Amino acid sequence: MTDEIILQVKNLRTYFHLDSGVVKAVDGISFDLHKGETLGIVGESGSGKSVTNLSIINLIQTPPGKIEGGEVLFHGDDVLKMNDRQLRELRGDRIAMIFQDPMSSLNPFLKISTQMVETLQLHQKLGRKEARAKAIEMLTLAGIPAAEKRIDCYPHQFSGGMRQRVMIAMGLSCNPDILIADEPTSALDVTIQAQIIELMQDLTRRLGTAVIMITHSLGVVAGMCDTINVMYAGRVVEHGTTDDIFYDTKHPYTQGLIKSVPRLDKPESERLFSIPGQPPNVIDLPDCCPFYPRCHKAMDVCKKQYPPVFKFENGHTCACWLYEQKNAGTVKTATKENTK
Amino acid sequence: MSDTITEEKLVSPKEETNEFNQVMKGTSLAADAWRRFKKNKMAFFSLWIVVLYAAIAILAPILPLHPYYAQVIDHANLHPSFKTAGEVQLETRKAYFVKVMAAEGRSEYNEKEKTEIARIEEANKTDPVQKNHYFLGTDALGRDIFSRTVYGGRISMTIGLIGTLAALIIGILVGALAGYVGGKTDNLLMRFVDIMYGLPYMLIVIILMAILGKNLAILFVAIALVSWLTIARVVRGQVISLKNSEYILAARSMGAGAWHIIVKHLIPNTAGIIIAYATLSIPDFIMSESFLSFLGLGVSAPLASWGSLISDGVQGMELYPWILIVPALTMTIFLFAMNFVGDGIRDAFDPQSKNRV
Repeated sequence: MTDEIILQVKNLRTYFHLDSGVVKAVDGISFDLHKGETLGIVGESGSGKSVTNLSIINLIQTPPGKIEGGEVLFHGDDVLKMNDRQLRELRGDRIAMIFQDPMSSLNPFLKISTQMVETLQLHQKLGRKEARAKAIEMLTLAGIPAAEKRIDCYPHQFSGGMRQRVMIAMGLSCNPDILIADEPTSALDVTIQAQIIELMQDLTRRLGTAVIMITHSLGVVAGMCDTINVMYAGRVVEHGTTDDIFYDTKHPYTQGLIKSVPRLDKPESERLFSIPGQPPNVIDLPDCCPFYPRCHKAMDVCKKQYPPVFKFENGHTCACWLYEQKNAGTVKTATKENTK
Repeated sequence: MSDTITEEKLVSPKEETNEFNQVMKGTSLAADAWRRFKKNKMAFFSLWIVVLYAAIAILAPILPLHPYYAQVIDHANLHPSFKTAGEVQLETRKAYFVKVMAAEGRSEYNEKEKTEIARIEEANKTDPVQKNHYFLGTDALGRDIFSRTVYGGRISMTIGLIGTLAALIIGILVGALAGYVGGKTDNLLMRFVDIMYGLPYMLIVIILMAILGKNLAILFVAIALVSWLTIARVVRGQVISLKNSEYILAARSMGAGAWHIIVKHLIPNTAGIIIAYATLSIPDFIMSESFLSFLGLGVSAPLASWGSLISDGVQGMELYPWILIVPALTMTIFLFAMNFVGDGIRDAFDPQSKNRV
């Protein structure tokens, strides 16, 4: 991880215009991604994680979706203002994506070789043979045994974990600057999850690729990410380094999330903590903190206005009214109370 | 002892192929479908019939057939037989004279009849035309029905193929475009298809034939113009259901363009249905061409198609049934075979859905 910022998202807003109203799936998100950094995005279902990432490569389906505002600066160029050709050159080549379900993200009708060679030919201007050699090399790197034979198989001849390896190999084959992984492990079983995460970590470190990792699993982000965005109802509620998020948790929502992780050192008889209620319907949300109905620390001000973003040391930020007090001392007390 | 042998085998790298060291081979869709198709006996048998028809049609010019346009007036309406044309002609005339005699109460040929019999017998000895064999008989103008059926089949099958090909090309393009682009384009294209559907198909073809003239090329155009509607709808539906699948999103996230996605990802995924539909539509086109020819709007003499042959045969149905039966039976067998093949292909490509159209 270096200081060079390769991706800057500024106040990104993506709305879906449905018959029942406007869904503000992503409502003013900003973050930076440094070269080689691994950024985790966590949050409940429907908190806008996937939409954020589709917006980054401008793949939101219009209609009904529409990127209403903001900037996505990739090396200083605004992705949202690029034309189709520039976008096609960007996607896959500079920013690659891995999807949630390896079962359905490979075309069942085409051989792995066809699908991989195609991308390489398109972006790297390689000849057929060179592209094939490169594809085999990437598959081997991704831990596919006998890659030179397996490359001519069809997707159904691979298991889920193997397919995700193929997807990772495909995503990294053009040596992109950013790899966006949209819940890459949630369709896999736990042992395979660990392998896949290890593989991603290993490969991206070796190639110096920055990773945006979307996941439900705090375990995954804890093990893999340098920094974390916690999202709720289309906004980033807390951002910080992994250590800060886990050991100096600011937002009540993040605290709830961390508490809800089952732990081996807790007695078996103890009931697992869960945040009461459900995430709000993001259609026509009033100007309030969307988390206040479920928040154990809700105050009157929470119902009236969305909290501003408060900054702490080491780039740690949090959007919560608890930290409105001007002096740092109060903040610290609040923190202590929370971590009890 | 046996232990040592196993160890040796394990150590030696040169082993034979067994259950454990085989390379996993990819099975393509086509190979998989072919395997299933072969299991379907009826379809497989029908495929051979179709292949036979196709071979005869393609090889017709070099097969020892009488020219399909050659008329021998003397040999009009001869029945199917393995004898030479002269003998059959003699038999037919004699049988006819016997009938006339019975009607007139005579027991002997009169002079006129005698001369005719003598003339035919004389010709049988000298004229090589009398040595012709018409295994399936002749029509009212003395043309060989076998040869006419073969050449008629050439035209009928060509029309089936060209109609299907045109339907596929136009239909896939329009359907894929409408399905993939969606929105206004989709609406516009599909409403156009709806309107075309609403117009009676035969009427359009008949009007086109009437305006543009009776000509084989025009017949092709007319059939092609109205035949792509169903396939466009089918492909559109498939494309819509496929375009939201994750691998299309994945392909887009890899930087694939719209055209690339349509050609490389969407159309191959609809291939099974398209192929099945295409095989099943060949007999449809043959039927509609026959119908047009039957109405006198199809091919014109001396060219023949199965439809025009049947139409010819109907006129003398009571007296000379073979003129009707031969092309009708030929066509029926072909249509049956084609339908079985189409069913087989559909089941082979789409084994889950049983007997869905």
